[in-house]
Amino acid sequence: MKFNLKALPLAISVAMLPAYVAAEETSDEKIAKLEQQVQSLQKSQTESLTERFRFNGFISAAYVSSDNSAGYNGATTSADFSEDSKMGFQGTFNISNQTTAVMQLMMRGSNDWEVEAEWAYLAHSFDNGVKIRGGKLRVPLFMYSDYLDVGYAQPFARPPSEVYSQVPFSSYTGGDIAYDYELEDSTLTIQAFGGESDVNDEDEGLDLELSNVMGINASWTDLTWTFRAVYGQTELDGSVGAGTVVVDKETAAFTGLGGSYDDGNWIAVAEWTTVEIDGVLADSESAYLTLGYRINEFTPYATVAYLKTTDEDERSSIPPLAYAFDEERMAYSLGLRWDAIENVAVKFDVTYATDFGDTHGGLSNNNFNPLTGKFMYDDSMVYTVKFDAVF
Amino acid sequence: MKKVLSILALSVCSIMSAQAAVVVIGAPGAADISASDAKKLFLGKGSKSAVVYELNEGNATRSEFHSSVTGKSDSQLKAFWSKQVFTGKGNPPATVSNAAAMKSAVASNPNAIGYIDEADVDASVRVILKP
Repeated sequence: MKFNLKALPLAISVAMLPAYVAAEETSDEKIAKLEQQVQSLQKSQTESLTERFRFNGFISAAYVSSDNSAGYNGATTSADFSEDSKMGFQGTFNISNQTTAVMQLMMRGSNDWEVEAEWAYLAHSFDNGVKIRGGKLRVPLFMYSDYLDVGYAQPFARPPSEVYSQVPFSSYTGGDIAYDYELEDSTLTIQAFGGESDVNDEDEGLDLELSNVMGINASWTDLTWTFRAVYGQTELDGSVGAGTVVVDKETAAFTGLGGSYDDGNWIAVAEWTTVEIDGVLADSESAYLTLGYRINEFTPYATVAYLKTTDEDERSSIPPLAYAFDEERMAYSLGLRWDAIENVAVKFDVTYATDFGDTHGGLSNNNFNPLTGKFMYDDSMVYTVKFDAVF
Repeated sequence: MKKVLSILALSVCSIMSAQAAVVVIGAPGAADISASDAKKLFLGKGSKSAVVYELNEGNATRSEFHSSVTGKSDSQLKAFWSKQVFTGKGNPPATVSNAAAMKSAVASNPNAIGYIDEADVDASVRVILKP
């Protein structure tokens, strides 16, 4: 009531002097606007170091075990807490509004918690929408490549290894250039990349230098649907099979198509990829489809995946090479993501791999028995419980 | 009995209308925006000059806003931003703790955009979208 009494005379005077007030208001408004602009300019100038620097991290702790020792997804019959457990820290420093330095350090249980820099780059965005980056970057071959280790940002316990283990390296040193086309209700991003990398994996017997890594990808998203196409290639030099097979300047080419859908309730993700390598190393084709449905904090999901080599005929006359490189596998997963508390998701997953044909199925400990003429295992079941957190 | 029922019905109606919706606000001189522009801005896409403000995590108005504008639940939004952050693609918007702080943040910058409960709207800001 008090307010109304006060407002009444004001309202009357406003009504009585419309022209005068309108003029007054616009100049007042202008002054207020200018004041605001000065304020925001001052604010951005005095923006403190803490506002320019961001620190984020993620942790995954996983329990993995299998019904046999075939080595599917790195699992064994005894409970393993290190294979899929990892920790990452990322610092982002905004040098200016357009230039950013990013460093991400990773520690993986499967790599004895050794500290590695997964990302370490400088990025610059030009006014015309072009963004360039240089340093150590992720090879953008898969839909989840950029956040491969951030389990919290993924619907499943792990990206299907049928597709994701076909390329033995996940980062490179070099640069990329990207451009975002802002369409009416969607964004199309074109990215080209180039650089070099290497693979030194004693467990898998890989020792490779990767030169002339290059590729291009295009992705389109309206934030519900996402479609993606990628082509990449590299030159390989070194050896595989713990030095038994020498690789001398062979070219490897990768193609991939991917799509995803997320309307808030339904989730669908699918990827199809091929790898073609000159020489004896295997060419392969793989794909998966994941479907999930959110029920409040629970998201049950199911995945079907396959993997097969596509150049068996090149090795069929040399049995040892065929035993070593031919691969065939189907995998079926059932899982549940539970968004238990803020920033923490718990995932339960059972994955069954089978249909290896006359191959080891890509399982590292599935050895050929010359006496029986068969491989030791013809299937494998892997159980996973995983905690994924971000901070 | 009929009277009682109609009073009941009326009061239910008034309770429903009193439950004000979330509205998107800008500075007093800001122009209207479309729902799809709002979705883009609050997911870090679109105009680079825009200054976006969010209410703190756990705020009911925030959850209501996102369920109607970006279609994301709290945990989906968290997963979305962790994806952006760890790929270096962007950072979540700055947050403010309540409607009053939101209004003063938005009112002081012509490029600012935020959201509040419709009941909290006053002359310091302009409603630029009713989702």
